[in-house]
Amino acid sequence: MIPETLQTLLIAVAWPLAIAVAWTVGELAYRLLSLPRISSYGIAGFLMAANQGGFLADPSGGPVTLLAHFAFALILFELGYRINLRWLRVNPWLGASGVLEALSTFLAVFALARAFSIAPVPALLLSALAMSTSPAAVLRVANEVGSSGQVTERALHLTAVNCVLSVLTFKAVVGYWLLASIDSAFGAIWNSLGEFVVSVAIGGLFGVAVPALLRQIGDVERHATAAFAVATLLLTALTHALAFSPMLAALAFGLVARHRRVILSKAQSNFGTLGDLLTVLLFVFVAASLDWRPAPTAIGMVLAIVLVRLTVKTAAVTLFARLSGTTWRKGALTGLAMTPMSVLVIVLLEPTRHLHLYALDQVTGLVAIALLLEVFGPLVSQRALIWAGETRHLDAP
Amino acid sequence: MALTAFKAGEALTMGVELELQLVNWTDFDLSGSASDILHLLQAKKFPGEVKLEITESMIEVATDVHRHHEQLLEQLRRIRDQLVVASDRLNVAVCGGGTHPFQRWSERRISAKPRFLQLSSLYGYLAKQFTVFGQHVHIGCASADQSLYLLHALNRYLPHFIALSASSPFFQGVDTRFDSARLNSVFAFPLSGRAPLIFDWHEFEHDYFAKMEKTGVVKNMKDFYWDIRPQPEYGTIELRVCDTPLTVERAAALAAYLQALCRMLLQGDEAAPIEDDYLVYNYNRFQACRFGLDGVLVHPRNHQSLPLRDDIVATLRRVAPHARVLGSQAALDELQQAISSEGNHASFLRQQFDAAGSVQGMVAAAVTLFRKGRIRAR
Repeated sequence: MIPETLQTLLIAVAWPLAIAVAWTVGELAYRLLSLPRISSYGIAGFLMAANQGGFLADPSGGPVTLLAHFAFALILFELGYRINLRWLRVNPWLGASGVLEALSTFLAVFALARAFSIAPVPALLLSALAMSTSPAAVLRVANEVGSSGQVTERALHLTAVNCVLSVLTFKAVVGYWLLASIDSAFGAIWNSLGEFVVSVAIGGLFGVAVPALLRQIGDVERHATAAFAVATLLLTALTHALAFSPMLAALAFGLVARHRRVILSKAQSNFGTLGDLLTVLLFVFVAASLDWRPAPTAIGMVLAIVLVRLTVKTAAVTLFARLSGTTWRKGALTGLAMTPMSVLVIVLLEPTRHLHLYALDQVTGLVAIALLLEVFGPLVSQRALIWAGETRHLDAP
Repeated sequence: MALTAFKAGEALTMGVELELQLVNWTDFDLSGSASDILHLLQAKKFPGEVKLEITESMIEVATDVHRHHEQLLEQLRRIRDQLVVASDRLNVAVCGGGTHPFQRWSERRISAKPRFLQLSSLYGYLAKQFTVFGQHVHIGCASADQSLYLLHALNRYLPHFIALSASSPFFQGVDTRFDSARLNSVFAFPLSGRAPLIFDWHEFEHDYFAKMEKTGVVKNMKDFYWDIRPQPEYGTIELRVCDTPLTVERAAALAAYLQALCRMLLQGDEAAPIEDDYLVYNYNRFQACRFGLDGVLVHPRNHQSLPLRDDIVATLRRVAPHARVLGSQAALDELQQAISSEGNHASFLRQQFDAAGSVQGMVAAAVTLFRKGRIRAR
């Protein structure tokens, strides 16, 4: 009787408890070890997950999923809001380095995956995912250490570029695979290109409508954060329900809203306390979805891929550093700052599930890569920003 | 270390230094990008001098020595254009203004140069709060004694420069109701204020500077934060009360006004300055900071109240013949325009705040104005 009650209780409080534990660990580790908070959230979430013998059940499909999507969408909105398209036009070498680093990462990881005899399609999927930098990790780390400067700005802009390229490539691979495996060509095209275009269009529509609404309401300064958060929530639910990409929509929303110029104030970055809370949830959620068990078999490949991805990204960004107006050193640090991967991985895979595409299971070792970069990626980003001397809250050791 | 010998040169030459703000394009807060911009500018030939300032979100540019307003303005425009090109490549915006309206001083990063780090440890939060942006105007002097004479003869005109350049109504996120809130930050420093009334350089050097040096409080002239100070190594006097205006056009006009005023004063049209002139000095300076062009001065000699605006108009008329000789009527026209219709840049910023409804919108307008150069299209 008593154990049963205890179990019911534990199930009832599982998520709030996990969030409380992760938050506490995050604060302590930040204070004592200067570890980025999101790394701690990830480690805590991973250890508390049922897959690892913890008390958190696999959260996929539950109400927590929508919240995690919402949390991620808020981050993407903010990333979009910080992207200055004019910069990419004025400084074309920057855009070029973004395309180069994404494409060369794709090619290098693909070659490596094939060398480890992964089948072509999973290898393509893996390479497409490896292109992207985790926008959540880069943005949260940058905000956490209060960094501003070239490395920060460049890492954020290149992250936006490689995320878009990654999604495009991923959708194209999925489209190609569907084309090969089912006989509806229309369905395949619709799923890749259509999804992309419609998602961006919905986000763009929000980007026009919400600032216009805000102007009507007035007192922009006070209402902007809440209005954008509410709109992002609606956008996430809507795109999710219609099976479009909430991620692309949120990114487009932020980008268009920025260029409609309703200006967020400094205090509202991260979406304040709401953003802080949801970030804990997001990172716990992601790590809790990971299952370590199949990973050790592929450990050699995992390490090779992580290393190659890091090297290629850093080299590609460094190559164009001087042409795009900065030093070799800052170019290299920008590449390093773009190490994190992962949140995108899971959320990207999410909408493909309803297509009966169990890509996650196809790509051996992806989990381990995700986990490794989830925990160590933010640490590398943090160090890169500190070495660049762009941080405010933490000084170089 | 004794005071540097005064490098006397041609009288009435002029040079301008501007401390400019670096802000980001997203929320228009200050951006710590000075060394990145400096690195980019060093790659090309920069039409002037450019250097780091105490915090990483500030950059200082300086012109060469000029005789004419036109050349000064032309160089300032080239400097501006090149700064705009470089900052665009780095996604940073450059603008004028005496303060950044909403930056938090505690968030500033001190530049990694020994002098700045030492100042920072001495002055503590004052050093970071000193993230304010001024225009310094140098006027060449034919002799050291002339520099001391000019420095004091200018005492009663100082409020003109404060009011005309004022562009710092907001500080730490609020409207201070001052037109120049920046000067309040400067006054916090122990060695700010006025120079002692000494007209003889030898006396200044041995009876004043040497004694001060012996106290250990100062090492060189740079340690004095006076409103106007002699700069022996350049052979100039340096006017330091101006906020950095929002445009280089206004900056050049202020320099030309000072040049014409100095020419008038050097001709000895006015009674020599005396210690009692300074009785009303701080009060008048306050009036100019607080109310800008709407301030009311007390005349140091006859003790009558006179509106600052009227005093400037009258002075512009008196220096007009000198401006004609120096070829700087265009500069006086610009200032006349500010007085009669546009107002100073503090009022421009307040209008922008009202129009945009946010401090960020105000900085955005300052960025645009810096590039464009004029409030109204000609």
